[in-house]
Amino acid sequence: MGEVILTMKDIDKSFPGVHALDHVNFEVKRGEVHALMGENGAGKSTLMKVLTGIYQKDSGSITYKGKETEFHNTREAQDAGVVIVHQELNMVGDLTVAQNIFIGREPKKGFSIDDKKMIEDSKKLFQELNIEINPKEKMNNLTVGKQQMCEIAKAISHKAEVIIFDEPSAALTEKEIADLFEIIRDLRKKGLGIVYISHRMDEIKTITDRVTVMRDGGYVGTLITADSTKEDIINMMVGRVIYEDPKEHSMVAPDAPVVLKVENLNAGKMVQNVSFELRKGEILGFSGLMGAGRTETARALFGADPKQSGKISIRGKDGQLREVTINSPQDAVKYGIGYLSEDRRRYGCVVQKSVTENTTLATMEEFTSGIFINKSKEKEVSEKYVKELATKTPNCEQLVVNLSGGNQQKVVIAKWLTRDSEILIFDEPTRGIDVGAKNEIYKLMNRLAAEGKSIIMISSEMTEVLRMSDRIIVMCEGKITGNIDISEATQEHIMNHATRNIN
Amino acid sequence: MTKKKKSILSDQRFIVLLVIIVLFAIFSFKSREFRQYTTILSMLDFSYYDLLMAIGVTFPLITGGVDLSIGTGMVCYALIAGSLVRNNNLPVVLAMLLCIVLGIIVGAANGVLIGIMNLPPFLATLCTCMITRGAGSLCSATPWPGLTQDGGWFHSIFKITVGTGRSASRYPIGFLWMIILVLVMEYVLNHTKFGRYTIAIGSNKEAAALSGINVKFYHVMVYVVCGLFTGLAAIAYAAVTPTVQPGTGAGLEMDAIGGVFVGGVAATGGYGSVIGTLAGIFVIMLLKTGLPYIGLQANWQQIITGAVLIIAVLIDIMKEKKAAAK
Amino acid sequence: MEKLKQNPIVKKLGLNRILLACILVLMFVVFKVVLGSKFPVGDSIKSTLNYVYFLGFLSLGVTFVIATGGIDFSIGPVMFCCALISGYCMTSYHVPCAAAMVICILIGFAFGVFNGWMVSYMSVPPFIISMASMNIAKGIASVFTKTQSVSWPLGSDPVNGWFRNLISYKGFPVGLVIFLAAAVICGIILYNTKPGRYILCLGSNSEAVRLSGVNTKKWRMLAYVICGVLVGIGAIFFVGAYTTVQPGYGDQYNNEAIAGCVMGGTSMVGGLASIGGTVIGVFIISLLQQGIMAFGLGKGQQMIITGLIVIVAVYVDVSARRRKN
Repeated sequence: MGEVILTMKDIDKSFPGVHALDHVNFEVKRGEVHALMGENGAGKSTLMKVLTGIYQKDSGSITYKGKETEFHNTREAQDAGVVIVHQELNMVGDLTVAQNIFIGREPKKGFSIDDKKMIEDSKKLFQELNIEINPKEKMNNLTVGKQQMCEIAKAISHKAEVIIFDEPSAALTEKEIADLFEIIRDLRKKGLGIVYISHRMDEIKTITDRVTVMRDGGYVGTLITADSTKEDIINMMVGRVIYEDPKEHSMVAPDAPVVLKVENLNAGKMVQNVSFELRKGEILGFSGLMGAGRTETARALFGADPKQSGKISIRGKDGQLREVTINSPQDAVKYGIGYLSEDRRRYGCVVQKSVTENTTLATMEEFTSGIFINKSKEKEVSEKYVKELATKTPNCEQLVVNLSGGNQQKVVIAKWLTRDSEILIFDEPTRGIDVGAKNEIYKLMNRLAAEGKSIIMISSEMTEVLRMSDRIIVMCEGKITGNIDISEATQEHIMNHATRNIN
Repeated sequence: MTKKKKSILSDQRFIVLLVIIVLFAIFSFKSREFRQYTTILSMLDFSYYDLLMAIGVTFPLITGGVDLSIGTGMVCYALIAGSLVRNNNLPVVLAMLLCIVLGIIVGAANGVLIGIMNLPPFLATLCTCMITRGAGSLCSATPWPGLTQDGGWFHSIFKITVGTGRSASRYPIGFLWMIILVLVMEYVLNHTKFGRYTIAIGSNKEAAALSGINVKFYHVMVYVVCGLFTGLAAIAYAAVTPTVQPGTGAGLEMDAIGGVFVGGVAATGGYGSVIGTLAGIFVIMLLKTGLPYIGLQANWQQIITGAVLIIAVLIDIMKEKKAAAK
Repeated sequence: MEKLKQNPIVKKLGLNRILLACILVLMFVVFKVVLGSKFPVGDSIKSTLNYVYFLGFLSLGVTFVIATGGIDFSIGPVMFCCALISGYCMTSYHVPCAAAMVICILIGFAFGVFNGWMVSYMSVPPFIISMASMNIAKGIASVFTKTQSVSWPLGSDPVNGWFRNLISYKGFPVGLVIFLAAAVICGIILYNTKPGRYILCLGSNSEAVRLSGVNTKKWRMLAYVICGVLVGIGAIFFVGAYTTVQPGYGDQYNNEAIAGCVMGGTSMVGGLASIGGTVIGVFIISLLQQGIMAFGLGKGQQMIITGLIVIVAVYVDVSARRRKN
C-alpha cells in the first residue's frame, strides 16, 4: 500500500428530514482495495455520490492527491480521475461497446469519428484487463457481466486513479466474479485506489485490504481485513442498539391454517425456486439486502411481472387450499391478495387523485349501481377508513399528493381493506415515513394480523423485521437462504444468511 | 458461415430488398405498361422528394420523435420561393437557397419546441404542420419555371433531357444524387458525433446526458437536419409538380414516414439506417406507381400506405417483444 | 387573487374556466368593436354555433383520449370519412337518412375500436396509429365515393330534410341543446361513472391502477371508442351545417379540436380533464375562426393562429406540470 490518495474528512450532508451523512471519515490509499460496508440506508451510496459530485456536501473536506477538491458534477470527477462504476448500468444499448466506452469524447479524424482508433483503443483496454469482448458488438447483445466489464474498461480509459465499484458483483456469475477480481488485483498492482462496495462477506475477505463500516449515516470504524473476522464486521454493521419491544415469540396460533403456499416460483434471475408458506394471522418478514429478489418475488406472486414457473395455492372461503393461476394483478386481487408497493408514488396510489378515489380504486364494483358511482357511499366508506386508520387529512377530497408519506400509506392500506383482502403484501411499509407515523403503521399491522389477516412484510430495516415478524425468511440473490422463527432470530443470524456467510 | 447467413436474413434491409424485387416482378409480369422506361422514369421522378423528406425524418424518428410538418413544410417552401421567382424575378438559384433556409428555420423551431421546451414531438410538429400549411396557402398557386423557360435549368439537376419533344432522351441523373446523399447521410449517422448522439438520444437519453453530451443541442440539430432535407425536398417537389397548389402537402409526410418505418427504424427510436430508408421508400413508391397498373385505383394508395405503416411498426414491436422475452 | 380563489362560487366553477369564459366574452366584444358592421351579431353567433357543433363533438371525444395520456389526430379525417360514406349511401343507394346517421356513427365507432385496440393491446404508439388512421380514413372515403364530394340533403328535401332540425328548428338552436346535453353526459361519464374514473386514474398513473387489479387495457381502449362515437356524431353536425364534404380533407380540424381541449385545461400528460373547459375552449376556437374570417383573412391565417395557440397552451401545461414536480 502506498501513500493516501483520497481523504474525506468530517463529511456532513442533510436532506430535508434526513441527516444522511453525519461527520463521516474515509480514506483510500494507492494500491489498496478499501471496502465500504453497512446495511441498506447506512449512507454508503450517498457518501460516494458526494465524492463524485452528484451531491454537494454541507460541510467537511475532500482531499484528493494532496489538494483540497470539490467536484461539481460527474464530468469534473471523471476528468480528475475519480470514476464510479454504477450498480445500474449507464449504457446506450443501441451503440457498440467501443462507441459506449468513448461516448462524449470520441477521437476525431476530420469531420468524422475515428472509429478505427476507438476500436483499437478498446481492444488495448480489454487486453490490459485481460478480457475478451468484441468492441464492435452492440451493447444490448452482451450479458450483464460483460456490460459490467465494459463499464470498468470505460472507467479505466478515463485515466482513473480512484475507481469506485458500487456492488459490482450483484448481477455476475461465479466465473465473472473471478474475472472481476483478477482485474481488481491487477488495478491494485498498478497503484490505483479502489473503493469496493458490497454486501458479500466472503468477497470482502477475498479481495479487500481494509474495511470501513458505516451505520445510520455515521462512521463506525475502519478495520484491516486480514486481522478481523467476519463476525467483527457484522457486529460493527448491526451495532448494539436496544430496540423497543422486539417480538419474543410468534403470535400465530399453532393450529393456524396455511392460507398461501408458494412452491418453486421462478421469475427471471431474481426469483429462483422460491417456496414458502404463509399462515393465517401471521406476519411473515422477508429480510435480505438490497437486490436480494424480495420485491421481485412479491411482484411475481402478485402477477405484476411475468413468471416462468411455480405453483401458488390459496385457501378458499371453504377452508381448502387450492391451486390458482395468477397471470395479472387482476387475478391476484380476485383471490384476495393486496400489494402495497415500496414506491407509493409510482405504484401505490394515484397521487393526483383524491383520498376517496384512491380508497375505492380496487373495489369500484361495490360502489356502482349500473355504471354510476354512488358517491355518497364512496365518501362514507373512505371517511370510515380515515377515522379508523387515523389518516391525517383535512377531508376526503384532498389530493393524495398533499399527504405525508405515512398518510399516503394509510390510504393504500384503506384501499386493500375496502377490498377485504385476506393476504396483504407490505413492501417496505415504512420507507420514507417519520417515526411517529411508523409506530402507527406497526400497530395497524399488528391489529390486522390479530384480526386474522395474513401479512407478508418485505423490509430492509432490521429493527422492523425483528419487531414485527412472527417468522423471517431471508433471501439472497434470488434464493431463499434462511427461514427463521422469531424466537431464534437475532440480527447476526439474519445478516449471516443475508450475506450468505452460512451456506 | 451459418451465422453470417442468418444475420443477413434477419436484416430488415435485406428483406425489404426482396420485397422490392418481388413487387417489381409482379407488377412487370402483370402489366406491360409498367415495364416501360417512361413509367420507371416517372416513378423515379416522383420518388425524389419523398426520399429527401424520408432521409431527413429518419433522424427525428431515430430519436424516438417525429416530424409531421415535413409534407406541408415542403409545399410551403416551394410555394413561397416559387411565387418570388414568378412575381419578383428572384433567380432560381436563390429560390432554391431560400427553400433550404426556410426548411432550416422551421426545423430549428421544431427542435427548440421539442428539445428545449419539452413539448411532445407529435404535437409540436402537428402545430408547425398547420402553420406551414397556413403560410403556404397565403401564396397563390405558382408554377416554378418549366424546363424550356428561363431558369428551367434546375430540372436538369434531377433529369437530364437531351433533345426536344417526343424524341428527347431523358436520363434520371437525380437518382445518382440520391444514392450519394443516402450514402453520405448513412456515413453521418454512423461515423459522426451528430449521428452517434442521435442514436444515443433515441436509445437512452439519460445515459447520454450523464456521459456529458450536450443533449439539448443535438436534439435541436436533429430537427434542423430534418428541416434542411425538407428544404431540398421542396426543390425536387417543384421540379416534378407543374403547379404547386396552396393548401396541399398534408399526407405527403405519411409516405416518407411510412418508408422510414419500412426501412427498419425502431418504433421507439434508437435504431435505424438511411440505406434502409432508401429501400423503404422504394417499396412505397412501387406500390404507389404499380397498383394502378394492376387495376387498383389511385385512392387505394392512402389506405395501403396507412396499412404498410402499421404493419412495419407492428413487426418492429413484435421483434422488440421477442427480444425482451429472451 | 388568493381571496378570489377561495371564494366558494369561484372554487366550484374553477378559476380557469371563469377566466376562459371572460376571454370568450371579451373576444366577442373586441371583434364587434373593431369590425363593426363586418361582424353582425346575429349572423356571427349563428356561424360560430355551426362551427361549435361539430368541433365540439370532436373536442369532447379527444378529451377522453388525452385524459388517458394518449392522442388521436385522426379525428378530422375520420369525421369526413363518416360523413362521406354514410352520405354516399344515402345519395347513391337511397339508404334512409336515419339509417345513414347510424352508419355514420358506426364508422366512427369502428375507427375508435381500431385505434384503441392498436394502442392498448398492440402497444403501438398513439401518434403512429393516428397517422395511419388518418390516411386510411381518407383513403377509404375516397375509394368509397370514387373521389366525389358528397352533399347531404337540404332542409327543403321532403324525405330526408328533417335531419336539419337537429341543427336548428325554426331558428331555435337545437344543435346547441344537443351539444350541451352531450357535454353533460360526457361530464357524467368522466366524473361519475366507473369507466370515467378508471380513464382519469390510468391517465394519471397507469401502473398504480393496474396494480389495483384493474384491467387498464380495456379501459384505455374504451376512451378511444368513446372518441370514435363522438366523432361519428360530430360528422352528422358537420353536414348539418355545411352540407357538402370533400374526400381527402379534414386534417385542420384535428388541431382545432385539440386546441379547444388543451385550452380548456385538459392536460397533455393525462389524468386531468375538464369537460366544461373543453366546451368553453371550443367556443373560443370557433369564435376565433369567425373573427379571422370577418377580418378578411383566410383559412391560411386560421391555421397559423390555431397552431400557435396550441403551442402556447401545451407549453403552459408542460411547464406548469414541471414546476409542480
